[in-house]
Amino acid sequence: MKAVILAANRSTRLSPFIETRCKPMIRIAGQYILENTILFLKEAGIHEIVLVVNHQQDLIRRYFGSGKIFGVNLQYVVQDELQGIGHALSLCQTSLEKKPFLLVYGDVLTDNNPFLSILQTYSEMDREVALIALPESSKEFGNVYLDHEMKISRLVEKPQANQANYVFAGMFVLFPKIFDLLEKNQNDISRCYEQMIEAGGLQACLWEKGWIDMIHPWHILEANRMLMSSWKTAEIDASAKLLGHVHLEGAVRIGSNVTVESGTVLKGPCYIGSDSYVGNNSLIRNYSAIGPGSIVGYGSELKNCVLFGNNDVGRLSFVGDSVMGENVKSGSGLTTVNHTVDYSLISCKSNSELIETGLTKLGAFIGDSVSIGARHTLGPGTIVESGKIIADCITL
Amino acid sequence: MCGISGIVHSENIGRNLFNSIRNLEYRGYDSCGMAMLQQGELDLRKNVGGIDEVNAIEKLDQMQGSIGIAHTRWATHGGVTQENAHPHLSPDRKFVIVHNGIISNYQELRERLLSQGVVFESLTDTEVFVNLLEESYSKYNDLEKAFLAALGEIKGSFSIVMLSSHDPDHLYCVKKESPLLLGLGEGCNYVGSDLNAFLEYTRKAIVLDDGEYVVLGRNEYQIRKVENGELVEKKVLHIDWDVETSKKGGYSHYMLKEIFDEPQTVRQALKIPREQISGFAEMLTDATHAYLMGVGTTYYVANISQYFFSTLANQYYPALSSDEFSVVRIESGDMVLALSQSGETYDTKTSLEYAKTHGAKTAAVVNVMGSAISMMVDQVIMQGSGPEICVVSTKAALAQTFIMLRVALELGLMRKQITQKDYQTHQQDLESFPQMVEQILNEQSGFVRNIARATSHVEHWLFLGCGVYYPVAMESALKMKEITYQHAEGMPAGFLKHGTLSMVEPALHTLFFVPLPEQKVLHDRTLNAMEQVKTRGGTVIAIMFQGDERTLAVTNQAIQLPQMSSLCAPLAQMIMAQMFAYYAALDLGRNIDKPRNLAKSVTVG
Repeated sequence: MKAVILAANRSTRLSPFIETRCKPMIRIAGQYILENTILFLKEAGIHEIVLVVNHQQDLIRRYFGSGKIFGVNLQYVVQDELQGIGHALSLCQTSLEKKPFLLVYGDVLTDNNPFLSILQTYSEMDREVALIALPESSKEFGNVYLDHEMKISRLVEKPQANQANYVFAGMFVLFPKIFDLLEKNQNDISRCYEQMIEAGGLQACLWEKGWIDMIHPWHILEANRMLMSSWKTAEIDASAKLLGHVHLEGAVRIGSNVTVESGTVLKGPCYIGSDSYVGNNSLIRNYSAIGPGSIVGYGSELKNCVLFGNNDVGRLSFVGDSVMGENVKSGSGLTTVNHTVDYSLISCKSNSELIETGLTKLGAFIGDSVSIGARHTLGPGTIVESGKIIADCITL
Repeated sequence: MCGISGIVHSENIGRNLFNSIRNLEYRGYDSCGMAMLQQGELDLRKNVGGIDEVNAIEKLDQMQGSIGIAHTRWATHGGVTQENAHPHLSPDRKFVIVHNGIISNYQELRERLLSQGVVFESLTDTEVFVNLLEESYSKYNDLEKAFLAALGEIKGSFSIVMLSSHDPDHLYCVKKESPLLLGLGEGCNYVGSDLNAFLEYTRKAIVLDDGEYVVLGRNEYQIRKVENGELVEKKVLHIDWDVETSKKGGYSHYMLKEIFDEPQTVRQALKIPREQISGFAEMLTDATHAYLMGVGTTYYVANISQYFFSTLANQYYPALSSDEFSVVRIESGDMVLALSQSGETYDTKTSLEYAKTHGAKTAAVVNVMGSAISMMVDQVIMQGSGPEICVVSTKAALAQTFIMLRVALELGLMRKQITQKDYQTHQQDLESFPQMVEQILNEQSGFVRNIARATSHVEHWLFLGCGVYYPVAMESALKMKEITYQHAEGMPAGFLKHGTLSMVEPALHTLFFVPLPEQKVLHDRTLNAMEQVKTRGGTVIAIMFQGDERTLAVTNQAIQLPQMSSLCAPLAQMIMAQMFAYYAALDLGRNIDKPRNLAKSVTVG
């Protein structure tokens, strides 16, 4: 069986991280989302993969190439105009040889291999299958109704507030007849799913392990936590230098050529990417992922945060419940305030729209190549757009 | 309890026999094995563990042959070891058997055989029988005669299937007190502990009765009586269960699959002919004293029914736990209505026997066709809920509750406690219930899961309710204990202030089953208890109905069901509590379908 991964979309809601990369190329717990997906597909015996690309496709092409080093064969299909999922899929028809195939939305992340489950259901039931999951809130997704045989009997795209159904989890086994349906429905994929449901064809496969659809920037933190929670062991590259007294607890992962200076405490699960440096007396707490080539200055505290790589966190800083894009440099004494005084719910202003995050602990989201001068304090839920330069905060 | 299975075919049946025993795994899962005849030699493989674990070591599914037997065990005699696992082979390797039940005189037989120099490999009662076979065959040189002679020596309860290299074309089967059914295929036949053993291959089945034995070939079978060898004519049943209902489909656990099957099982319960329902109602009317009986979940179903009979028919029938039934002095003219999903529950069976011998009439609601209880009572309602594989009962319990509601309604009409008009209204409520179940299962999943996940760490729960919601709370607490291994205590909400209130502190969590606001007296009493918990800093979670602002103000978290009839409200709450226990157990990583220490139906005392 072949798989189609939809990786073309440019979702503005993931700003400030989406301008310079596509969603599947967000690095979570040290690994790109797309890499995670491709390795799961390979484990499930799927080696022929069609990738639909557009936005920031060079990043994908550069990293994955022909797929050979990942043990798969990648075929690229370019969706020149972003006209939705149905359109993206319709471009793949000729690549799929009129056989059943797997459709995978590229912005979905799981902590275990969902393809083994969906393929098992497909082999048992011999019908088109949709993976379904139960998110914290179902309002962003296609809500499904299940009948007693676990076939999907109804699809509701915009549910009412008092509903919390299982939802489409962005993975399907589809038959070639989908292309006829797409043509008939002007590439409206929801309408196609509805018609498949009306014809009694769509079987559900329940996914009860970790699942996240990356919609808002704080989902990066959630995804990071989900993947790191499954880490059971510490892995430290032989070339890493832990100087003097460095204290380690739990599943700490350290890449090649990393230096950690004396007096630092590393509490797993946490990750330090290759060629990074952590100064003396720092505290790297759980669910911190420091991307490759980063510097964390003396006496800094990191907690539940994702640094994409090539970051420079100045001495005596606190970065908590926050995400830093690539090449962010911050001067000494940066503080990300990660809760309000009364622990009220934090909202985020994204694309001039105020969004309730539903979280009481949330720091800042700092876009790529931002430079922040010394001694700055970022309030809960702050978004700093890419490339911004903030001068030092000097009192005299 | 154990599961046994056998197949006679003309083709290789390794894979089929393996599937068959896997479908019986819920009957017991501490060890298993298979034996097949291959080119005149018996090939035996068995080990300790679940079916898939044993298969990984022993490669059961790759065994070759066209005739074979298999067994999955839940230990009663002898520990869980490879030697004690079934099948058991005779010392000369010519006979192999599987057995479900207990050979009660095995100690004395074992001693006699030991004194004759027989060496035993295992500590099981079963191994005695295989030695008896070898002994009697050397005497008669005829397999059927040897089988009967060996049977003549054993006492107790047993279903046995024997395969011998002396007869490569037949299985020899006997049934006494433990269940055994035949499945009839085209050019092949099956035998098993229940329908799941062969439902995948054939829908034609014969239920064997006690004291019958069978010589089963691939194209023919003969059923005779053990005592006199007389041929018995049996009715062939056509099973209308959907094969797919016993497959897991896209679900990761049978429990959730079976919960989502509930709308369908309620539809089935609605299809039970009215004559059968009124037959029960008439029996209740005619009885001098009537008792409701069950054990475990079915005891709570009996308790819920108690309230149905009281409110709809103005009749009080005590509900008793089967294992404590001896407190009742049964007299002629009395009646016992028993509930049992498997129809094999030892305690219920024993108490029904006691009631029958003292002249009581008996009736039962049972799910498994051909089961002991379904055969022994004067009247039976087969609930037709389909196979329930998860050890804890969900859909079968709900269907039984629903059937009892129908009986109470019928009795109410019969006793003129409700008018024809009310009866019609209630009937409409019942008919619309499957649709309601479908809606709440789908639309509440996320809410229930979020609360269950947030509270799965809680080790002590009080489940509280008033009126009919009280036994619902008890049943729900049992579900919680069974699959999460966390402590949950079901209790009347009004009982709280008479002692247990002293336990309330912030860590103690309570789950309230809140009636509809229109059930004013019950609702006020429940709310009162909730406030008592709340003021003392306890955590209050409620399963309640939408639009009930007073209740919502007192709760920390709530599952809010849509408005529905008061008749169906407790049943809907039961379903929500099943889901709540499921998601809590899922979050805790429990073995949901096969909780530790439990088996599907408890056939031992």
